[in-house]
Amino acid sequence: MTARAERVANLPETAALVRDGMVVGLSGFSYQNPPMAIVREIIRRGVKDLTLVSGPTSGLETDLLIGAGCVRRVVTAGVAFERVAGIAPAFRRSAERGDLDVWECDECIWHLALKAAAWGMPHILWRGGIGTSLPELNTGLKEIMEGGRRYLRVPPVQPDIVFLHAAEADPFGNVRVAREAYLGRTFSERALALACRGPVVATVERIVPNAEVAASPERTIVRGALVVEAQWGAHPGGVSGRYVPDLEQYRRYTADGEAWLRDDPGPYRRYLERHVYGAKGHGDYVKMIGAQNLERLGAARA
Amino acid sequence: MSPERGTVAGQPAAGRHEVARLLACVVARELRDAEVVAFGLNAELLLAAALLAQRLHAPNLVMRHGLRIERGHELSPSAWTAEPASRSHELVEYLEAHDAILDVANRSSPMRFCDVFFVGGLQIDREGSANLIGIRGGDGRMKTRGPGSIGTVSIGSLARHVILFSNEHTTRRFVERVDYVSVPGWRRRAAAGLDGGPSLCVTPLAVLEFADGLMRLRSIHAHATEEEVRRRTGFPLPPGPVPVTPSPSSAEIEALSVVDPTGRLDAVDLRADGGPQ
Repeated sequence: MTARAERVANLPETAALVRDGMVVGLSGFSYQNPPMAIVREIIRRGVKDLTLVSGPTSGLETDLLIGAGCVRRVVTAGVAFERVAGIAPAFRRSAERGDLDVWECDECIWHLALKAAAWGMPHILWRGGIGTSLPELNTGLKEIMEGGRRYLRVPPVQPDIVFLHAAEADPFGNVRVAREAYLGRTFSERALALACRGPVVATVERIVPNAEVAASPERTIVRGALVVEAQWGAHPGGVSGRYVPDLEQYRRYTADGEAWLRDDPGPYRRYLERHVYGAKGHGDYVKMIGAQNLERLGAARA
Repeated sequence: MSPERGTVAGQPAAGRHEVARLLACVVARELRDAEVVAFGLNAELLLAAALLAQRLHAPNLVMRHGLRIERGHELSPSAWTAEPASRSHELVEYLEAHDAILDVANRSSPMRFCDVFFVGGLQIDREGSANLIGIRGGDGRMKTRGPGSIGTVSIGSLARHVILFSNEHTTRRFVERVDYVSVPGWRRRAAAGLDGGPSLCVTPLAVLEFADGLMRLRSIHAHATEEEVRRRTGFPLPPGPVPVTPSPSSAEIEALSVVDPTGRLDAVDLRADGGPQ
């Protein structure tokens, strides 16, 4: 009998799957579970003109790619850092300058567009969003009449490739959440993976044996992923049930980005030098942040 | 003291923590038993209001906080909390994936997303439309990019009850006509074939309601004056005697001390004096 194929990969080879102009799905929610290690790797490769499908309300993974000049278009309901920044600085700058095309939507419409792709539907009709400015701002959305009622017609949005970060996976591509997950069991991992036309790449804190996964299948949220072990791979974001977001890092990033909004690009450039280009890979990044600083973010087990 | 600041009978204006407590009571009084109320992640004051309502008159109120359905007796850190030792997750009785927000379209299911939803905005207008999208410049293009629509567009039009909440009261926030619509108010809803509209608008200075689809004063908080509220509202409000917003009752004060024993409400982002014009 031949052996079952493992689906374990590494950061450089999975980042290399991203080409200029691709539609890239990024999972995460606010500060939680952003696939930051792969985002930094994608930036180091200098890809251009990406369409990001992130969020639905996205955060640093989206803002950093925009700030590094990799993005042409975003499909997201917002880019923000909760209390640290009501609107993320690079997103704001690029959108206001007209350098960034925003596929204006809210969280429901974002999910519907992915569901349309996952279900192979030409569009989904939705009662939310009628009477708003969304159709004016997003030419993909149209108000139509059907059976005497007004609806918003939402087209499919299909990522070419999806990246997500999670607590664990087995070598065969079964991705799972921490037992202690508290903010939410899953975010948009499944929505993006089911809509994706190409590979789904999961960076995880730890690769665990298949037997462990089979012992609690209810924790598995995505199957068939390419799996990359990248401990602290969501930093400075948190991972539900594993570690909390590093708000000090978010505050520094925001300050550097806001200097750029005031036409001083120096601090943001230095941020990219230090946190992205200055580190050869994720290992370097972890060393630069410091193991002690990272350990301190570890979630206390109840 | 700035002349902008309201005073009553020579008393100093209320501080942020007093106004935060008052607003928590104002909102709590609007929440009914067995309703489902939904909050975003950064909404301490509204969470406090829901906890207060659960304690005082709505023991079956369901709280949806981020992706969690939770119960609690005390205001705990936000759901994504940055506090490693937080035990707030122990209050959670149900977790869901983010696409559960689509369940807002069926108002009847016991698993419906919500009945009551709070909406804010960069701008709020006379008929209760809210704008989180952006501000137009002189050329008609978007000059200031707002945070985006987040979850508000669909939930704000499909939820049974929408309450507008603003942490400031200025002519910049309260405008005749919003530049972009993220949540439609009364007239825009009627034009789109949606019934109803927002029921209430709560600000640090006043409570406003709607009559014939337009905003009017319901009450003014004790630390503000009617002249000040009118001056800080960018559209005319119908004349008429306006009562003072009832202060927190002793039962509310007692419940608040249980709900917020550590003074988390002191830190909420709120312009007690209405904010800089």
